[in-house]
Amino acid sequence: MFLPTVLAASNFVQVRPGLIFWTIVTFVLVMVVLRLKAWGPILQLVQERETQIANSVESAKKMLVDAEAKLAEAKEAANKARQEASETIRRNQAEMSAFREEMMAKSRKDADEYKAAARREIEEQKAKAIAEVRSMAVDLSIEVASKLISERMDDSKHRALADQFVQGLPVGGAAGAVRRSA
Amino acid sequence: MRKAMVLFASLFAAVAWGSSGAAEGESEDVAGYILHHVADSNELEIEIPLTHNAIHVPLPQILIGSCTPKMTDHGEVLPGITEGCLDLSITKHTVMMWLAALLLLASILIWSNRDKTKLVPRGAGANLFEMLVLFVRDELAIKNIGKEEGPRYVPYLLTAFFFILFMNLLGLFPWMATATGNLAVTCGLALCTFVVTQLAGIRAAGFGGYLAHLTGGVHPLLWPIMIPVEFLGLFTKPFALTVRLFANMLAGHIVIFFLLGLIFILQHPAVAAVSVPFAFGIYLLELFVAFVQAYVFTMLSALFIGMGVAMGHHGHGDDHGHGHKETGHSHDHGKAHMLGS
Repeated sequence: MFLPTVLAASNFVQVRPGLIFWTIVTFVLVMVVLRLKAWGPILQLVQERETQIANSVESAKKMLVDAEAKLAEAKEAANKARQEASETIRRNQAEMSAFREEMMAKSRKDADEYKAAARREIEEQKAKAIAEVRSMAVDLSIEVASKLISERMDDSKHRALADQFVQGLPVGGAAGAVRRSA
Repeated sequence: MRKAMVLFASLFAAVAWGSSGAAEGESEDVAGYILHHVADSNELEIEIPLTHNAIHVPLPQILIGSCTPKMTDHGEVLPGITEGCLDLSITKHTVMMWLAALLLLASILIWSNRDKTKLVPRGAGANLFEMLVLFVRDELAIKNIGKEEGPRYVPYLLTAFFFILFMNLLGLFPWMATATGNLAVTCGLALCTFVVTQLAGIRAAGFGGYLAHLTGGVHPLLWPIMIPVEFLGLFTKPFALTVRLFANMLAGHIVIFFLLGLIFILQHPAVAAVSVPFAFGIYLLELFVAFVQAYVFTMLSALFIGMGVAMGHHGHGDDHGHGHKETGHSHDHGKAHMLGS
């Protein structure tokens, strides 16, 4: 049959000790050469790269934490500043309005005072004017009366009479008449 | 192994089919051709396309000891190593292995030779190389061996990975042969892993602890049973490594040859319309398998080393846990294996 012929003729299942020997020798040589020339440097390089990456990641993390802390700090400071500013503004505004109120009150008071003084002055002047008019009217009436009567009279007596007369005159009308006549 | 069984089954089927149609001699001729091509030989045979000629390059025979060829049924046969003859001849697969080793050294020295002051690689070659290196280190060494002990074994695993990968890939070029499709080569590689594994165990547990591990941590009365079992267990691991790599690399090539051989068995050019695309598909698959098997070998090596390292950490009680871990992983490999075939 076929199979026995195949197996008998084939030397592919045969194990040659010489080839085992050569395999081991070659393998060991290749390993030694590659170990010295390739694996050592490459693995070292890779190791170095890995540590560097790990370090970078670590420092980046640390930096991030730092940056976050700093950011929070800055935010807090900004908030505080803003609060302070608004506080100041509010205070200023309050002061301003108080000052304004005060000013207003003062000016109102001043105005009132001036008004009152003016009124007083007016009254005084008025009274003075009235008194003047009165005395002028007395003089006038005396003159008139002396002219009318054409007779010497006791001045004081006449004067009392005229005074009496003048007292009976309506004030406004007399004043107006006096002013017109003067 | 499964692949090999399928292969033999299909060989049988083809023979049955072939004998009904074509002559028996024809199919045997094809099988002989295939076996001649995947097997090791004492000469390099470079076929000249479109002719029936080939350039034969004889390779040096190195024989140590008393080596007088004996005549048997299958021609001249050298006496074995037990009979005092060490055959260190350079063969086709030895040459292929050396070629792969030289290519490996050249390409890795070129790729790894970059500006060492810059920590980041530039260019496709250097990047690809670093990617594979990092893959072996992180996914194989550190995951299976651990963070503390893993880096120590990375150079070994890297060398195994790239060496096997280059031998696997070299076999996919015309006129080349796959050194890993030879039991002796895979056996040599597995022996290296075996030695490293045992050294890792001794290093981790001390020599006493290592020997104590062979007892399986059971009652001394059970030692006569346990010691042979554990001792055998030491050798099943490298044996599995040997056969897995060998069978996978060999089977793919035989399948390709066989698909092309169908044209000659059935003696009709139309068969080429089917078998050539199929062979092309298998070829692409072989490209993938070249990577997968390099990965699997390295991965299992890392796993075994990890088990050796774990001896020192946990004592005997954990042996079973690790055993389970191993079966789990081999299961995975079974799957990868099926994927590959």
